[in-house]
Amino acid sequence: MPPPAWASLIIAAALLAWPHAAHAADDQQAPTRLTEFSLEQLGDIEVTSVSKRPEEVRRTPVAIHVITHDDIRRSGATSIPEVLRLAPGIEVARIDSDHWSIGVRGFGDQFSKALLVLIDGRSIYTPLFAGTYWPAHDALLDNIERIEVIRGPGGTIWGADAVSGVINIITKSAADTHGVSITTGAGSIDRGIAGLRLGGGNGSTFDYRVYGKAVSRGAEHHADAATFDEWWSTQAGFRTDWRRSGSDTITVQGDVSKGNHGQRVSVASFSPAAQVPLDGVLDALGANLRAQWQRDFPGGDGFRLQAYVDRTRWTAPHFGERRTTFDVDFVHHLPLGQRHTLSSGAGSRISPSTFIQAVPTLDFTPRSDTSSVYSAFIQDEFVAIRDRFWITAGSRVEHDSYTGFEAQPSIRALWTPTPGSSVWSAVTRAVRTPSRIEDAVVSTSYSTTTIVPIFLRVTGNPDFEAERMLGYEAGYRTQLGAQAHLDVAAFHNHHTGLASYGLGQVTIEQTPAPVHAVVDVLPVNGVSGTSDGFEVSPGWQLRSWWQVRGAYSYVRFNLANTPGSIDVNAVNRYDGSSPHHQVRLESHINVGHAGELDTVYRYVGPLAALVVPAYHTADVRIGWAVSPRAQVSLAGQNLLSPYHVEFAHTPGPAVGIARSVYLEFNWRFANARP
Amino acid sequence: MMRGHRRILAACVAAVFAAISVAGADAQSPRRSEYEVKAAYLFTFARFVEWTPRPSRDDSSFTICILGADPFGATLDMTLSEAVIRGRRVGARRISEPDAAAGCHIVFVSTSEDRRMADLVPLLAGAGVLTVSDMPKFTERGGMIQFVTAANRVRFEINLQSARQAGLMMSSELLRVASAVRNATGSM
Repeated sequence: MPPPAWASLIIAAALLAWPHAAHAADDQQAPTRLTEFSLEQLGDIEVTSVSKRPEEVRRTPVAIHVITHDDIRRSGATSIPEVLRLAPGIEVARIDSDHWSIGVRGFGDQFSKALLVLIDGRSIYTPLFAGTYWPAHDALLDNIERIEVIRGPGGTIWGADAVSGVINIITKSAADTHGVSITTGAGSIDRGIAGLRLGGGNGSTFDYRVYGKAVSRGAEHHADAATFDEWWSTQAGFRTDWRRSGSDTITVQGDVSKGNHGQRVSVASFSPAAQVPLDGVLDALGANLRAQWQRDFPGGDGFRLQAYVDRTRWTAPHFGERRTTFDVDFVHHLPLGQRHTLSSGAGSRISPSTFIQAVPTLDFTPRSDTSSVYSAFIQDEFVAIRDRFWITAGSRVEHDSYTGFEAQPSIRALWTPTPGSSVWSAVTRAVRTPSRIEDAVVSTSYSTTTIVPIFLRVTGNPDFEAERMLGYEAGYRTQLGAQAHLDVAAFHNHHTGLASYGLGQVTIEQTPAPVHAVVDVLPVNGVSGTSDGFEVSPGWQLRSWWQVRGAYSYVRFNLANTPGSIDVNAVNRYDGSSPHHQVRLESHINVGHAGELDTVYRYVGPLAALVVPAYHTADVRIGWAVSPRAQVSLAGQNLLSPYHVEFAHTPGPAVGIARSVYLEFNWRFANARP
Repeated sequence: MMRGHRRILAACVAAVFAAISVAGADAQSPRRSEYEVKAAYLFTFARFVEWTPRPSRDDSSFTICILGADPFGATLDMTLSEAVIRGRRVGARRISEPDAAAGCHIVFVSTSEDRRMADLVPLLAGAGVLTVSDMPKFTERGGMIQFVTAANRVRFEINLQSARQAGLMMSSELLRVASAVRNATGSM
């Protein structure tokens, strides 16, 4: 499918013509340099990205990529999953308008198993299917300070389920969101997005904000002209930050949300014996409240105590679930002498839930269940050679209601041969605990008819164990002169007991009529083996007004069935549901002091197991600061073809992700002086 | 459905153009990155401080040093690329030990050095350099200028006593703009 001429023209213009135009504008206007500002003027400039992380990131013995607020703004993305495409090593595939498959270093799946996702320390990973139901979790993107994307296991610090990676979404402090901010936008698929934020306080001891957001999104491209993936959602929330004596911060925040997520599912019927597609909506209600007390003393001594409660109620055409999660977590940092920092902590999470049956072929036994996790960790960061060599070692011990005790130790080393570069390596053990589905589901699907109809019945297996991984990682970061940097990370992971299916009994059932055969299949820990890969992500500040960045990610699997696993597709499914190669190229240009031109090209390799071909596409965004208070942007997404398929999951023809345009207007009125 | 889309789009375009025509007259100053502004401050401070000459220091140029992990990256070098203070060219250096500070005029102390602040303060004061940082409680612990970010704006606090002890003279203009001036250890 060759890209149309106009799309090529836009890309060509973006990559070639604009830099010259921008440069010319730079020279002619001789814009005011910050070095010519007075002290008062400097103090009145509103700054972005008030993150203090860059220097810490360079010294972290972890494959981490930080997506800043400015990166999010300039990506033109309108949802959290789309923003995550900015990080290397992560695979984001849009299944339809409101569903995504997200994996880190492989393991792409709608239910992003083994990938832990947190919003301000609150886990949005659900024990129902051991993953994240992305459409139900939104945020006002303007409230996000940064997203830390950690590739590789992080069980020692983050706990169970941080196996393939951790996504840590951190919102801004209320002190950084004073004033009024209004965002409105509309486009060809994003029909309308409206956001409002009000914030105030004195900027030092007490600050607050409230926000609301509404989204309406249309269907993507369907060969059969279906529109089942239209959706809308609304969300509102607040945050208060209260600081005492400079070292204590108490944060209280909460959100309520309601979403109406269209989807097509496939449900088995006995008479006639068939698998019937069912279009409907998942109605998602959510509410959460979180409190955190953080104490930081100079020199690194401090603690953080947080507690939250999170309620969800999902009502879908084929199932419903009510869940309440209670979580308490405590982390303490204690410097010991000049060389050691001891971190320790403990936490528990209790999550009672009730399954609501909607169709006869999907049930859980028992329907009500309480999953619980208790854990504690201890870790020491040891300065072996000051400013040169660090060793971090520790372990978490966790008890969860499905598999009992699990240990998740890790050892990491970091060496900084020069102030601008670092080399690190790590060995980590991590576990992914079973989900409700693997433990207790009873799900029947129609297979085929030979003499009588044959149905497959997945029956939860209480003997299903945690999936375990031992990860070996190494990385190198360097500053190449003042203008360029390079980040390289490689991994070799050993996986044990990945989920697949084993054979149970075969029974003949008389009811419901007609007579049919049922083949029981059980989730078993049937696949083991290794995965290897690496990510290379360079960045280059070509001119003060022009930055280019890139990322190449590679992953391959070497997995095999173990005895007892009859699931002949499992190995191919793991190997072929994630692209082996991904490329991303970004160009960010400042045109004068008010204009922005952002271009992204990306290539994603084929998904063999899903018969999804490779695709390449491009996004362009033009932003213009009309005034200090008003900004307009026009973003074109997926411009290189009318549509392309990124994943295949829903029954029926695969959904094409369509070319789209989106126009956004942001107006902010900030208090001039706090 | 399509007609609904077009109407929303048309309304949005109209709203945007209305806003442009209202707001277009305002000065164009988009937001800057935090460290872009801090880099400009480091340069600007030099105009309001008098250094006592030292034999260890080459006063024919002006040197800004980053001690520890560098949060500025290319930003600092770009800010200073054509900058001149009192006819002297300005350069940036990255150092990892306080001994190397003797050749600097301004030392930005990275938050990576938080834990050895107690050791650094006397060494840097002895070198007669202006110390600047954004680590918490920097001025309380003997640092001279501390960046404080509130409501998305970068301001600074001063410990005048520390500056005097290092033989630095701060202009009244600098003290006037500071959001807080600490005159002796422990008092504001």
